[in-house]
Amino acid sequence: MIATLALSSLIRHRARTALAILGVAVSAAMLLDMVMLSSGMRESFRSLLLSQGFQLRLSPKGTLPFDTEATIRSADSLVALLRSRATVAAVSPVLGGQLHFAVGNATLTATALGVDPAVQGDYELIAGHSPTAPDEVVVNDAVLRALGRAVGDTVRAAAGYDPQLRTLSGQRVLRIVGRVRFIYLALDQRAAALPIATLRAMNGPASAGRASLAMVRLRPGVDVDRERAALEAQLRTVTVISTSEALKQVDERLSYFRQLAVILGAVSLVVGFLLVTTLVTVSVNERIGEISVMRAIGVRRWRVVAQILLESSVIMLVATPVGLALGLVTARWLNSILARFPGLPERIDFFLFQPSAAWTALGLLALSGVLAGVYPSWRGASLPIATTLRQEAVG
Amino acid sequence: MSAIVDARALVREYRMGEEIVHALRGVSLAVHEREYVAIVGPSGCGKSTLLNLLGVIDRPTTGELSIAGERVDRLSDARATDFRLRRIGFVFQRFYLMQALTARENVELPLAEAGMAGTERRDRALDLLDYVGLRKRERHRPSQLSGGEQQRVAIARALANRPALLLADEPTGELDAYTGAEMIALFERLNADGTTIVVVTHDEDLARAAKRVVHMRDGEILG
Amino acid sequence: MRSRLAFLVLLVVPLRAIAPQGNPRSIAIDERLAADAGLRVGDRVVVASEPGLPGDTVVVAGIVQRRADPAEIARGEYRVRLHLDHLQSLLGYGDRVDRFGVKTRGAGSTGDALSRINAAAFGFRAHRSADVAVETSRTFAVVSRFHRAIGVITIVASAIFLLCIMLLKVDERRRDVAALRLIGCSTRTIVGSVVLEAAAVAVLGSVAGIGVGGAASWIVNRHYQAVYRTPLRFSIVTGDIVLLAVALSLVLGVVSGWLAARRLAHTAPLTLFGR
Repeated sequence: MIATLALSSLIRHRARTALAILGVAVSAAMLLDMVMLSSGMRESFRSLLLSQGFQLRLSPKGTLPFDTEATIRSADSLVALLRSRATVAAVSPVLGGQLHFAVGNATLTATALGVDPAVQGDYELIAGHSPTAPDEVVVNDAVLRALGRAVGDTVRAAAGYDPQLRTLSGQRVLRIVGRVRFIYLALDQRAAALPIATLRAMNGPASAGRASLAMVRLRPGVDVDRERAALEAQLRTVTVISTSEALKQVDERLSYFRQLAVILGAVSLVVGFLLVTTLVTVSVNERIGEISVMRAIGVRRWRVVAQILLESSVIMLVATPVGLALGLVTARWLNSILARFPGLPERIDFFLFQPSAAWTALGLLALSGVLAGVYPSWRGASLPIATTLRQEAVG
Repeated sequence: MSAIVDARALVREYRMGEEIVHALRGVSLAVHEREYVAIVGPSGCGKSTLLNLLGVIDRPTTGELSIAGERVDRLSDARATDFRLRRIGFVFQRFYLMQALTARENVELPLAEAGMAGTERRDRALDLLDYVGLRKRERHRPSQLSGGEQQRVAIARALANRPALLLADEPTGELDAYTGAEMIALFERLNADGTTIVVVTHDEDLARAAKRVVHMRDGEILG
Repeated sequence: MRSRLAFLVLLVVPLRAIAPQGNPRSIAIDERLAADAGLRVGDRVVVASEPGLPGDTVVVAGIVQRRADPAEIARGEYRVRLHLDHLQSLLGYGDRVDRFGVKTRGAGSTGDALSRINAAAFGFRAHRSADVAVETSRTFAVVSRFHRAIGVITIVASAIFLLCIMLLKVDERRRDVAALRLIGCSTRTIVGSVVLEAAAVAVLGSVAGIGVGGAASWIVNRHYQAVYRTPLRFSIVTGDIVLLAVALSLVLGVVSGWLAARRLAHTAPLTLFGR
């Protein structure tokens, strides 16, 4: 009976109901997007950082990995020291640099990563094999396209280019042995990976024994934070960053988006709340006579409130899935815009759908919508019956 | 016969801005079981106010009021609501049916509120519609019924929980003469079947049909 | 202007711990570093290109305010300015630089200067500052597109909200409309009066909205300026934005008012009265 009354009221004012549902759906979509933006970005980075199982990253003191051109001196002894620790399962040193591929008279520059192929965690092999011999290199599709080469081809590359003399230095003929996808680099960023010893040799004496970064995979059960603190205390020339520390840095860098997400999310919630409050207030005002009659014939106050709340709940229930769908569509759109950030790793999603976060957001909106109806409906059900009926009769 | 209504020195004052309106000035009234009382008087004499107090939708400023042996002048909102549901039947001048519900559903509304189960509720509603001659219109919505039919549905609704007292506020006020006469006959039949009725009316024919007429003026009962 | 960017280690050591040197070189630091490290003009510090190297003792000669550069938002690094030759010697870079800045004699001569420099260039290439700015501001172009997209969603949400409110507002006037019709007012008069009211509400709402928007913009700027320690303005309420908001709400208000009023004006007065 109560449900019939609630539904009939919604059906009676079709245009109003449709607009309210649409309004709440847009609010829900916006809220969902903002929740996805605030938590998704972080989660996406987290899964990216942990994708290869390295929990710690060591970079030159005071820097973040690959944030500056600074490198770690005596990296080989550092790696040996790390590998000797019982808590460490694997250490992957990485040296960043550039490779200048000779294409006719021109050169084509790509990011170069010197890695230890046996334990590397910077790329995923798509075709071919990892570079094991000193003259082997793996490249991504952007390089293959630009060079017009394929796996198995050889290419002349240099580690240095002197613009004054227009000469290449540290030249080698390298054989492309694999096609790879670089995990931490942008999709359109030309990149190649080769054994770290080869890159150091090509760079010359300045790079001897150096690495830009060392990634550490700990043995199962090892306390990451404790190990980080121990390494930080022991190694004076490096900064040791755990995944949670790195996430903190990422949070700081992307705090603008997170804060924007919080502000816009809160605005969406308020808009949804206001919309439902307005709707329920008007609905109650219109039916003040009906409500008073119900109260006069003995319908309890909470049942009257329940009937009105049912209306706002129905609006919320219908609007929420619509908002969910709308939110996912707009999130894809917004993500496609932000994915064009220069240098952003391919796998980073700004808008990551996480069911728990999504349900929390939509639940929050649904709850706020229902709560929005509580005050006007309670007020309506609490009006003096006799006075209201008299006014309605006069009106 | 025991008194269904026992009102003693009821005073009802309203504050209208700075001014205090004395709607009832010490009204005492007793209505006995199976009585049919009509309260008449000019507009603004306080008869609707008195009816609202008897219907427990308003509280007296001072005075004592018992309905069916229970003091109702100081009931909490929840208790008053429950009392209205089980002991009072209300018929309004403008019917006030729920437009979204059918005739049967309107009658079922107080039964559902009282917790009566589905089938029993439906049967009781149909019996009541049968009693007021609208069994065949059970599926019609108020907008599909004439004024007289709507008022009869409202009466069936008022009788749903077998109230100790049926109150009617100008029940013929919105009806034409012919339908009004039908309504008067229905009230007479209701009373003959044992329902205690108090009506407030300007309708002389309706007042004449009552067994007792109470005259009011300026918030007081005359005579 | 010649410049070189590099990573430097700055050791902040108490004055008395640093042995006095003959005539230390001077550096300028940004106010963020000065605040965080408690440095003042005249303090002596040690700068080195890598941790563990002895470096040079320098004196803080100036504290500079960071520019309102969006590229530096959310970046925690400090900025230290050294004399070019000092940085080159610290880094072992000889007399190399990353770039030169060339000031031309007005916009008209820039193209000519560019082609003449590039014709004679040996090992470098000249670019217009504007072209460099486009390249380096790609990030902000993305952020800007993102903001525009959010703006579109917000406008859609506001439009629906406004439409809904207007519909409700006009619906509340049922009895007034019924009374006007009963006393013989034409549909045109009734629709006109309702639309006028809707327009007035929309304009008043817009004016209030401009106030709220201005206040929100002020709060956003204060908040982000404090968070990122930058004089950059994050939110600016421009005339165009105000115009768009007012026009949008006016159009939506009038359209929704007209739609709702037409519906009421074509309903029988007694039905509007609920009889």
